[in-house]
Amino acid sequence: MQGHDDLEPTVHIRELKKDKVNFVLKNVDLAFANSLRRVMMADIPTVAIDMVEIEINTTVLPDEFIAHRLGMVPLASSNCDEAIRNTRDCTCLAGCDSCSIMLVLNVACHDHHTMDVTSHHLDVVPPGTPGTWGDGEEQEHDAGEELSKRGERFGHPVGKDEPGTPPVLLCKIRKGQELKLRCVAKKGIAKEHAKWSPCSAVSFEYDPYNKLRHTTHWFESDERGEWPLSENAKEEEPPRDDEPFDFNAQPSQFYFEVETDGSLGPQEVVMKGLAELQTKLANLILGLKTQPELDILTGGEQQPNGNNADGWGAGGGGGGGWGAASGNGGGWGGSASPTRGGAATSAWGATSPHSSGGATSTWGGGANAGWGSPEQQSNGWNV
Amino acid sequence: MNAPNRYELYVLDDGEKPVEIIEDTKIPNAATIKIVKQDHTLGNMLRAQLLSMPQILFAGYKVPHPLHPHFIIKIQTDGTMTPQAVLEQACTKLIGTMSSLENKFKREFSFKDVEGTVGAGGATAATDDPYGGSGMGGTGGAWPGGRDYLDF
Ligand SMILES: [Zn+2]
Repeated sequence: MQGHDDLEPTVHIRELKKDKVNFVLKNVDLAFANSLRRVMMADIPTVAIDMVEIEINTTVLPDEFIAHRLGMVPLASSNCDEAIRNTRDCTCLAGCDSCSIMLVLNVACHDHHTMDVTSHHLDVVPPGTPGTWGDGEEQEHDAGEELSKRGERFGHPVGKDEPGTPPVLLCKIRKGQELKLRCVAKKGIAKEHAKWSPCSAVSFEYDPYNKLRHTTHWFESDERGEWPLSENAKEEEPPRDDEPFDFNAQPSQFYFEVETDGSLGPQEVVMKGLAELQTKLANLILGLKTQPELDILTGGEQQPNGNNADGWGAGGGGGGGWGAASGNGGGWGGSASPTRGGAATSAWGATSPHSSGGATSTWGGGANAGWGSPEQQSNGWNV
Repeated sequence: MNAPNRYELYVLDDGEKPVEIIEDTKIPNAATIKIVKQDHTLGNMLRAQLLSMPQILFAGYKVPHPLHPHFIIKIQTDGTMTPQAVLEQACTKLIGTMSSLENKFKREFSFKDVEGTVGAGGATAATDDPYGGSGMGGTGGAWPGGRDYLDF
């Protein structure tokens, strides 16, 4: 596992386009790189249509078919962290301008040509329009600052009003058919539903020559002829023919291409991904530090303000605030878990395909099953 | 119909503790730490970081059941630090790595102009400078400079 600890991680962006970025990440673990990949795909909030109320549907497609397609339409979600709340955290009953965006679609075909209903027909109802969220019900509750943090296009279908960008086709209608509906878009992350993923694809490669033998190339007669090298092979030394297998070698160079669906820019995705990982770690530190005074805790999200006013950032590992850690061993005993029993005894280890990548979870996505490294498992533990 | 809300995969219930430490009674300097509402993303990264630290004799994690939204991480140290202190240190080191990486990304992004289609406006008008400018400052700051975990 050691080896690149002494080296600073570096990054080199090879290409940056409006909707994708290609970069090489060096001197980090496989686990670290994979966590970045996972977090970019599944943990970054965006907005997407979550509820559809269909008023008229005389098209050939059933309501749920159309509702599902509407959910997949990417909506501009820049600065989603601050620009919209989760409905579950909102004080409203069923939706309001702080936590939801209303879109309407109303199309009918009156001539003899087949007509395309597309995402360009979706119109955002501007926040503050009376009657959007129920009749006369004032949104007196703390409206918050969300609206002021929104960009002009926030919540609009990606590519609308952008000449040359093809829209998302929802349905085709002929003369006399009509589609009229209202949609409510909400904030969410792709762990809840993949429609909230800002990424349409994340490619992740390392070791293009397969020097580490993390995979096996099946071949008919000639391995090199049948397995053309990837472009990324140009970035690495080819192995010499007589090179012995180094079974201690660890991957340290990772080739990413992050392609977004347009709801967020690639830069925002990468930076938010790193920030999200730090948030996860920071919350874990908090959880560990507050362990001894369990009773004080009231749910994860309120914690940051109560305890721990001592500077953590300053210590940089070891000093100041950390001293406490050695002293509070006593706190442990009290926290024996009543809930752990059942799950922990599962036979998971024996049959698990989980590799160090952890990429086989539902959210690993795509073709990464093959990427997990064949690190050894001992008795069900990923060690 | 009967399914739990999907967000229960990653949002703590009311009053739910994010971390639970179970001290090992048979092995010295060992503990099993249950981390709730987190998955391989955090677990595997922590495990790898722990294994690179000299105080560690053993570190391994598992997600005991794919439908249960938690993982457990088992740590044995050489006795110079408690398992949870070493886990805290692992988190700190990872945050340090990430904030340095964040700065490098920012530099790299500032060197690169978005090729083609910058001015197209439209849906991404607000993303022209997705990380600078309006409101994004909160996450953009370097970790060591002024931000600490209390801000999260
Ligand atoms: Zn609301």
